[in-house]
Amino acid sequence: MTDIYIKGIGNISPQKTIDNSGFPDEVMEYPDAEYLKCIEPVYKKYIEPMASRRMSRVVKMGLYSAKTCLDEADIEKPDAIITGTGLGCVEDTEKFLTSIIQNEEKLLNPTPFIQSTHNTISAQISLFLKCHGYNYTYAHRGFSFESALLDSILMFNEKSANTILLGGVDEITENTYQITKRLGHWKRENINHLKLLEYKTKGSIAGEGSAFFLLTNQPDKANYAKISSVHAFYKPENSGIIKNEIISFLSKNNLRVEDIDVAILGLNGDKNFDEIYYKLTEEIFKNTVCAYFKHLCGEYHTASSFAMYTAANILKNQFVPDVIKFNNKPQRQYKNILIYNHYRNINHSLLLLQNA
Amino acid sequence: MEELILKLKSEIIEALNLEEMSVDDIDSEAPLFIEGLGLDSIDALELTVLLEKKYALKIQTADEGKKILYSVKSMAEYISQNKK
Repeated sequence: MTDIYIKGIGNISPQKTIDNSGFPDEVMEYPDAEYLKCIEPVYKKYIEPMASRRMSRVVKMGLYSAKTCLDEADIEKPDAIITGTGLGCVEDTEKFLTSIIQNEEKLLNPTPFIQSTHNTISAQISLFLKCHGYNYTYAHRGFSFESALLDSILMFNEKSANTILLGGVDEITENTYQITKRLGHWKRENINHLKLLEYKTKGSIAGEGSAFFLLTNQPDKANYAKISSVHAFYKPENSGIIKNEIISFLSKNNLRVEDIDVAILGLNGDKNFDEIYYKLTEEIFKNTVCAYFKHLCGEYHTASSFAMYTAANILKNQFVPDVIKFNNKPQRQYKNILIYNHYRNINHSLLLLQNA
Repeated sequence: MEELILKLKSEIIEALNLEEMSVDDIDSEAPLFIEGLGLDSIDALELTVLLEKKYALKIQTADEGKKILYSVKSMAEYISQNKK
């Protein structure tokens, strides 16, 4: 497999992540929030007002984080743009569906309809960069970001690209939140999201984010990390299968569980699903430094992109922030990080990042 | 007519999401497309929808549309002449 490195990152999230000064020291707390919304930058830095007027919030977040990522990597035009999104541009979708109802299927405004497609963000990035290369968006629910990453890896292996802009983007809106809350996805009680794992009740906290990564096949000391492998599996029947998937995944990468310096887990506070992670921390990861992240960004289809941002920063800075520590195992060096995440026990994924 | 032009400018700002603009920034007689405000074909669709929604006026042909949507003033004239 071709070595693939993360050269640049742009991450808009509910935390102060966009300035790329390492994992933020200050943790943002939203005591009364039902769901976690991103901290939005001043878009004017990259987006002209005449262009931004047609863009919904998620399109602007995507474009801004992509440009931040490219600037950090000092790349003007990548060879390909590949994004993953679970729900795409929900706000615009809601706008035109509402408009259909209100206007009795007549007189629809064209802009929300045009902008509501899942691939609007990557299309806007390519228009902005005048990048005519491969452009693809994966909308595979909890596998969206992983599919985009897998496609990137395949492109590098086929030597079809030297640089790829990879992104994971999803937004939360009030309507989407209310609908999914009725489906039991989110906690009904008021919670402090920073203590997400203490509640032991059903549901998680909704979130959103836009994380972009400039991937390259060129080694460089300044690179964040090396992406070694990704693996996805669907609806495992029991925890034994998950354990075997992890061991087999590591074995294919010539590693054992003991070689993992940090396991970043997708714990989201939902008692229906977190048991899977707890079992792993008591068994195969009982001697491993374990970390979690969804109390900072919330749960969404492409949340594993926030985990990849976290892992890349740990490897680059050789430091695990206290706020993400699940346990207190001592560790001196961080070489191999495993991300294990699942979306509602349906879409399970494993990502392996190593020192650049 | 002046009152209608002012109203129309506000409606255009809202419909096209021209957040940075006020009614004073729009020249009533300047072309709306390419020059002037620099609008494009999607904006033309939005303005067509605006005329139909707010004034119940339907542009019948592309040529007619070009003349009506030339400027704020031409839109206002069309509205005052054809409003039912």
